[in-house]
Amino acid sequence: MKEQLMEILEDLRPDVDFENEKALITDSILDSFDIVSLVGALNDEFDIEIQVGNLVPDNFNSIEGMMALIEKLQDEDQ
Amino acid sequence: MITDIALQLGMAAQKYKDKIMYSDSGQSVSFEKVYDLAKRLGTAVAKKKGIRHGIAVMTGRNVFTPAVFLGVALAGCFYAPMDASQPEKRLKDILSVLDTDLLIADSENIERAKALGFEGEILCAEELFECEADDRILAQVQADKSADDPLYVIFTSGSTGKPKGVITSVFSLCCYINAYADVMGIDDTDILGNQSPLDYIAAIRDIYLPVFRGASTFIIPKQCFVMPAELFRTMNEQKITSVGWSVSVFTIAVKVGAFSEGKPEYLKKVCFSGSVMPTNVLRVWQENLPDTLFVNQYGPTECTASCTYYKIQRQFSDDEELPIGTHYKNYRVFLLGDDNSPTPQGEMGEICVSGPILALGYYNNRELTEKSFIQNPLNHAYNERIYKTGDFGIMREDGVLLFKGRKDRQIKHLGHRVELSEIEAAVLRLDSVDEACAMYLKEKELIYLFYSGNAASKEIAVHLRGVLPGFMVPRKLVSLESLPHLSNGKINMQELKEMMK
Repeated sequence: MKEQLMEILEDLRPDVDFENEKALITDSILDSFDIVSLVGALNDEFDIEIQVGNLVPDNFNSIEGMMALIEKLQDEDQ
Repeated sequence: MITDIALQLGMAAQKYKDKIMYSDSGQSVSFEKVYDLAKRLGTAVAKKKGIRHGIAVMTGRNVFTPAVFLGVALAGCFYAPMDASQPEKRLKDILSVLDTDLLIADSENIERAKALGFEGEILCAEELFECEADDRILAQVQADKSADDPLYVIFTSGSTGKPKGVITSVFSLCCYINAYADVMGIDDTDILGNQSPLDYIAAIRDIYLPVFRGASTFIIPKQCFVMPAELFRTMNEQKITSVGWSVSVFTIAVKVGAFSEGKPEYLKKVCFSGSVMPTNVLRVWQENLPDTLFVNQYGPTECTASCTYYKIQRQFSDDEELPIGTHYKNYRVFLLGDDNSPTPQGEMGEICVSGPILALGYYNNRELTEKSFIQNPLNHAYNERIYKTGDFGIMREDGVLLFKGRKDRQIKHLGHRVELSEIEAAVLRLDSVDEACAMYLKEKELIYLFYSGNAASKEIAVHLRGVLPGFMVPRKLVSLESLPHLSNGKINMQELKEMMK
């Protein structure tokens, strides 16, 4: 899953070091437009349905946060 | 109409005393406090510099930034706000156009300011707030000031690759703020929710409506606009009643389904501007907030942020066009043809503006100023400067104006004005790029960059992040063997357009 996620992220923002950035939202590295594109891409790729309530900094500040969110949503689905 | 910021601020401080004037997620300042801070900073600046002196300001997104701006105004000087998060190259460009000898930074940004190689003096805002206010000095400034003195210089994308500084006078600002407040019905019961960066033109409402109408402004944390779930919650916590936001914020909220978990309960007055509002997005907002006033505003920075407004009284279907409406008070708006002849009603012409709201021009750029601000070709009787916006419009029979696009390669992206040629100029500074063409896919709000050469897309992205503001960096980088050309040698944009689909 991490590889797929990294692929999406690097395609979205090739200039960002996603492995090491841990404050993507709090430090304003990703903007609102990135988030909208990202949510669409994650929904498609992982067959999940990210809700507006999931759009909080903790879930998007780092790839770990994003993976935890994806896993949680996939589990809920089953 | 009072055309003196010092007088207006003094009156507001006297009337509203300890009422909150500005607040952010960490702190708040009262009307009295802001007046006190502005007087202290104003005195310190006035002691150093003469009246009508340009001052660069680099301060953060917090309640003290408006106090710095107002302090500079009290000193009879004008400010040029700079966003410290922008790349060094751009900040240096701004300083070189401004050609000033004084920069005020807060403690959060002063190290960054010092690293810019600025040769003038750098002063710390917090220290200036500690200086003693001297009413005698400030009264002398007030006596010497004139309503058409510059108030601020705001920088916007320039097609030659260097940002251009639009100069707005005190009088222009007063005209716009009063006209806007009347249209929106803003008074001292309102709490405004600020979205715009404080260095950007749209923030003037959030900064000056408290001064002129006694409203309070809450500076919404930047991350709320990235995480819309937090946006509505924050707005309800702060009981925000009125916003003036760029269209992209409304669009994004709808795209992520923000209304599925609540709505901004207190919001009664909404103005949007910056680009064309999709009617399907507007309908979602209208359905969720049926008792709220929605106003579509149109206008460039050169006319003090605006020209026309349209109060939306009904729902618009997908194939209907949202008008940009009629002129604000103190604005004259009309259409001219290519040959400078008046455009008949119902036909397309270039939107032109005149009146006391016109900018004083582009700072330190006579040539561009004279080209852009010209004598009204229809007026042979007296001096009347007009600004040709570069936008096309059609005047409807009922006097309502419709927007019909741009005549050049300027686009509006996420509420910001972007010259595509400025992006290309930045890309071409890389030796590894041979040719480049920036294009805009409006439906998806994506800036594309087509390029040839052996540069990797990552190299270009990293380079652009270092020289351009984030919103100007293309999201799609497409490497081509060579760019398609027309027989006259120009890049074939039509063919590139096809490739974006």
